[in-house]
Amino acid sequence: MSAEADSTAHVATRVYKPAMGAGWWTRKRHYFLYMVREFTALPMAAWLLWFLIEIQRSGSVRTFRPGTSTAFVIFSFICLLFALYHSITFLSLAGVIIHAKVLDRPVPPRAIVLTMFGLWFVASIVIGAVLIGFGR
Amino acid sequence: MADKRITIRAARFDPEKDKAPHLQSYDIPFSDDSMVVLDALNYIKAHVDGSLSYRWSCRMGICGSCGMTVNGTPKLTCSAFLRDYWPRPVTVAPLTNFPVVRDLVVDMEDFMQKLKSVKPWIIRKREMPLGAGEHRQTMDQIDDFRQFSQCINCMLCYAACPVYGLDNKFLGPAAIALARRYNLDSRDQGTKIRLPVLAQADGVWECSFVGECSVVCPKGVDPAKAIQQTKLDTTLRFTLPYGNRE
Amino acid sequence: MTEKTELAPKVALGHLFWWFMFANGGGLAALVLPVHILVQGVLGPLGIVPVVDRHYDTWISILGNPIVKLYLLVLIALPFFHFAHRLRYLLVDLGVPAAKRAPAQVLFYGGAVVVTLVAVWVLLTTAPISLG
Repeated sequence: MSAEADSTAHVATRVYKPAMGAGWWTRKRHYFLYMVREFTALPMAAWLLWFLIEIQRSGSVRTFRPGTSTAFVIFSFICLLFALYHSITFLSLAGVIIHAKVLDRPVPPRAIVLTMFGLWFVASIVIGAVLIGFGR
Repeated sequence: MADKRITIRAARFDPEKDKAPHLQSYDIPFSDDSMVVLDALNYIKAHVDGSLSYRWSCRMGICGSCGMTVNGTPKLTCSAFLRDYWPRPVTVAPLTNFPVVRDLVVDMEDFMQKLKSVKPWIIRKREMPLGAGEHRQTMDQIDDFRQFSQCINCMLCYAACPVYGLDNKFLGPAAIALARRYNLDSRDQGTKIRLPVLAQADGVWECSFVGECSVVCPKGVDPAKAIQQTKLDTTLRFTLPYGNRE
Repeated sequence: MTEKTELAPKVALGHLFWWFMFANGGGLAALVLPVHILVQGVLGPLGIVPVVDRHYDTWISILGNPIVKLYLLVLIALPFFHFAHRLRYLLVDLGVPAAKRAPAQVLFYGGAVVVTLVAVWVLLTTAPISLG
């Protein structure tokens, strides 16, 4: 750099622009867990598509086929793990995003997260009861 | 005290000679347990290699000048203790996601532009006359935005953000947190004016809530929270009836 | 920095809308999907509990209920807007900047719309609507 460099020119003679590789998420645990969280969408979508197909196949007795194979149970179990991870991360982060005031006092994030998990619990009980209760 | 030593591997880049940065090792005395990475850099510059270039100022975690990548993590070098790394070598590189000007110095221009773009000042629809006195504010009103006002513009959050790393057009954590600081300030009436910058395509919507920005923030600003809350507030503004008004 | 003057930023209503759908779909999926997968995908097939979709007669009579149809439509379709948004950005994170552009948006969000339409069709054509 010349000693009489123009004071208005902030541009360096040459800068090095680092390239960000596509493997950035493999280098830190927090980044990796983030990618897992994002990935949960895929197994969940797959399971819901199976469900849609199962409904479609209920059109007639001939085509109706509830899942029974071990492969299906394993598939569902894996999807369940991802769905649980999605629920835990999504509902926990709801406490960050939702900011509410009750009587002019901000609601603590912990209260919001507990409410979310409470809703999850209640919804699961109710839906589970319906799914099982009508299954005579 | 025993003759303890530590190896600092500092990134060197001479724009007139080098194509890319390379690491240069320095073996220096680790004479005091309270030594931080910045102390090591200062020792190198003073006693070993005067050509090493880096930014620093207050050396106490308030000016935001000394942000660098230390062993892969964005850190204020004045707050990164050597004892936490010793006896392993400490690799000091320039802050990621920014163009490197020389050695450990990065080009901050994009960051400065982004800060400016959110109009980080009190915006009034009509200024109060001086005779009306100061704007009054309760402690609760200050608490509404206090956390987001703690930003020291150190850029660690931009270095940690993979979205910014993949696309420099992203508005970024600090700028959005700063905008929220003003939007939440009871004296401010500029939320609608800041809206196009925050809610543009490269604004809050690009954030996928990795959350690493809040992890590395040395001041607990929690920019990730600021961004998500801005997404929600902006959406409610447009989906609720009578939402889009001051 | 480039010399060209940049257009003034404006509110990206499209992004806002898809994020809104993403948030709603994700919330619904978070609250409701795990129990469906657990009961219908694991416990039912293993015979641990009776489940409504294991026997044809029970299942068909339930499917005829319009409220059930509506619930199933929302259950299946809404999360797909969450999946579409998330998977598009997953591609961006994996270093595919093309995933940000309009054709990718049409592909992913259009895909969610297609799933919605297919779900509507399936629910309307499977098991005629009957109250009771």
